Amino acid sequence: MDEEYDAIVLGTGLKECILSGMLSVSGKKVLHVDRNKYYGGESASICPLEELFTKFGAPAPDESYGRGRDWNVDLIPKFLMANGSLVKLLIHTGVTRYLEFKSVEGSYVYKGGKIAKVPVDQKEALASDLMGMFEKRRFRSFLIYVQDFLEEDPKTWKDFDARTQNMTALYEKFGLDKNTQDFTGHALALYRDDEYLNSPAIETIKRIKLYSDSLARYGKSPYLYPMYGLGELPQGFARLSAIYGGTYMLDKPIDEIVLGEGGKVVGVRSGTEIAKCKQVYCDPSYVSDRVKKSGKVIRCICLLDHPIANTKDALSTQIIIPQKQVGRNSDIYVSLVSYTHQVAAKGWFIAMVSTTVETETPEQEIKPGLDLLGPIRQKFVSVYDYYEPTDLGLESQIFISQSYDATTHFETTCLDVLDIFKRGTGEEFDFSKIKHELGDEEQ
Amino acid sequence: MASIRVPEQKVILCGEYGVGKSSLFRRFANNTFVTATDRKSTLGLDQFKKMYYAYGKNVKLQLWDTGGMERVASITSSYYKFAEAAILVFALDNPATFHILSQHLLDIVTYAENAKIFLCGNKSDLVSEGSHISDSDIEAFCEQCHNLISGTYKTSCKTGEGIEDMFTDIASQLIKSNQSRMDLQTMDEHGFKITENSEDPEENCLC
Ligand SMILES: Cc1cc2nc3c(=O)[nH]c(=O)nc-3n(C[C@H](O)[C@H](O)[C@H](O)COP(=O)(O)OP(=O)(O)OC[C@H]3O[C@@H](n4cnc5c(N)ncnc54)[C@H](O)[C@@H]3O)c2cc1C
Ligand SMILES: Nc1nc2c(ncn2[C@@H]2O[C@H](COP(=O)(O)OP(=O)(O)O)[C@@H](O)[C@H]2O)c(=O)[nH]1
Ligand SMILES: [Mg+2]
Repeated sequence: MDEEYDAIVLGTGLKECILSGMLSVSGKKVLHVDRNKYYGGESASICPLEELFTKFGAPAPDESYGRGRDWNVDLIPKFLMANGSLVKLLIHTGVTRYLEFKSVEGSYVYKGGKIAKVPVDQKEALASDLMGMFEKRRFRSFLIYVQDFLEEDPKTWKDFDARTQNMTALYEKFGLDKNTQDFTGHALALYRDDEYLNSPAIETIKRIKLYSDSLARYGKSPYLYPMYGLGELPQGFARLSAIYGGTYMLDKPIDEIVLGEGGKVVGVRSGTEIAKCKQVYCDPSYVSDRVKKSGKVIRCICLLDHPIANTKDALSTQIIIPQKQVGRNSDIYVSLVSYTHQVAAKGWFIAMVSTTVETETPEQEIKPGLDLLGPIRQKFVSVYDYYEPTDLGLESQIFISQSYDATTHFETTCLDVLDIFKRGTGEEFDFSKIKHELGDEEQ
Repeated sequence: MASIRVPEQKVILCGEYGVGKSSLFRRFANNTFVTATDRKSTLGLDQFKKMYYAYGKNVKLQLWDTGGMERVASITSSYYKFAEAAILVFALDNPATFHILSQHLLDIVTYAENAKIFLCGNKSDLVSEGSHISDSDIEAFCEQCHNLISGTYKTSCKTGEGIEDMFTDIASQLIKSNQSRMDLQTMDEHGFKITENSEDPEENCLC
């Protein structure tokens, strides 16, 4: 450990692993440390099942759960948008070759106590029972408008300036009612609350396009999920870092981040060993004095021995409960994966219900989500604080990621990572530095 | 899925740091050998595919190197996933790397349940000098692990001896065991790899 590095990365969560990979690829000498014995931190997938039960202080699972080793349970629910930034990052870094994916089978939205499939194209929109007949036609013209919209071609704007006019105005232009607005904003554009209504419509248009471009890639739904669980993602980037010269140390507690002149970081101490460095990149748990709490998220892991009702027995699905439907300010999310992804024993399903905490009784808040699941064999509830750094790290050269637990999607994960990389190195990440085609050479 | 594809078989290298895994990989990939512990020469290169032919069938071996992660930390469990074969490497001139094999074996059977396991004693060019692992040591080890080992080889990355023979034999063993397995593998059991669109993704991305 007593060496000098360009950068020391603390924690092997997804963000830190992506950063570590990008830094190594850029030619930096990187030491990557985790206090845990395993890779992934909070973004690890827990295996075997016994360990999950132990973690939550529950008595050991009985034999009906099958082999414990067949389970890989995520602590954070996430899907990848098939055309989203994480997928781009995976492709450009070549990390995609370490992973296999399955399409999520369906995406549903909650309306009036029931769930309905999110209509994804004009045909489905016309068949959907989310809207009445006339509303369907209006929604169809709206979808066509969005699909044809090109930012650089004002002819496609149809007398509407999406850069200045807000989303409410665009909904009004097409005469869409509140219910349609609800599933458009929350299940297609994936907004978590209604603030987007007052922002320029262009943002929402882009999000709907991301949704439909993602959908176009693999059909069924715009979401992908990796075989063996999300824990495979940080591991893939860790491997990228390693093959570009990054050094890995696990099970290494960090006792101090050593500062030098002007409060600038000079190293990291573990016991009596000090590794010198010019920069530190880490998650909030390694620097409690440099982060602030900015909210709470509740997540409930539910083990089921059956699929969710009214989803055509989907082996994977996402259900969004728009806030208004249940009188809240933020949406409730339900995600379901199962044995088909090698994350559960044969016949088993893992559902996760999560939302931003708004009251003193968070478990009550997720009840509408839990009610959709039917009988739950085992439930694990946890409430996480969401942290963000108190400064940008430019003086200390300590670059801290925002809590990974709180955000459940990869678009903002990637934005945070690219932003940290830019702050740390002063430049945008150059994807052309990766010669991953070497690895695909054939003979 | 109508086109006939040459089956690809993931083969991983396992064993202690310094036994010659990356050297085997280098021999496999471009038949070179370097003495210096010059890590740069393999930076960025971690898997290589090569075609083999046996029993009237083609197979593509896709060899994976550890990336040196085993130096201080453990290898990620995802390294083992989907592996059809694992080559357990030790250095013939270094008994310590042999005696620790059972630990690596345990990792393989845990994380790559279905992989065929092969044992490779490397650095055969060095064995004349003093303490080394004998054939009976190797036999005893194979018996101990209940014949989990499908083949044993001795190689030298320095001279190149035994290396091509080893990969050829592994390839033919994989072809043979594939034949006995169901020929049709249902798409359903596997996920898919994501690849770039034919069009430039930057172009149709509006985000
Ligand atoms: C399973 C799943 C997968 C998704 N995948 C993608 C994706 O790949 N790409 C994409 O663009 N969008 C995805 N989304 C949608 C995404 O979660 C957000 O709704 C969307 O990106 C809006 O982000 P924002 O910038 O408005 O809010 P953000 O700034 O991202 O979030 C604000 C706050 O909301 C909280 N929060 C965010 N998401 C959740 C949640 N699910 N549960 C509880 N609290 C939360 C956090 O406290 C966060 O600080 C996914 C949603 C789900 C449920
Ligand atoms: N003499 C001799 N040296 C070897 C042989 N194979 C590898 N080495 C040397 O052993 C050292 C470690 O090899 P390397 O491939 O990096 O091992 P790895 O850590 O298992 O990947 C290097 O200095 C190699 O040159 C061999 O067959 N004979
Ligand atoms: Mg090596």
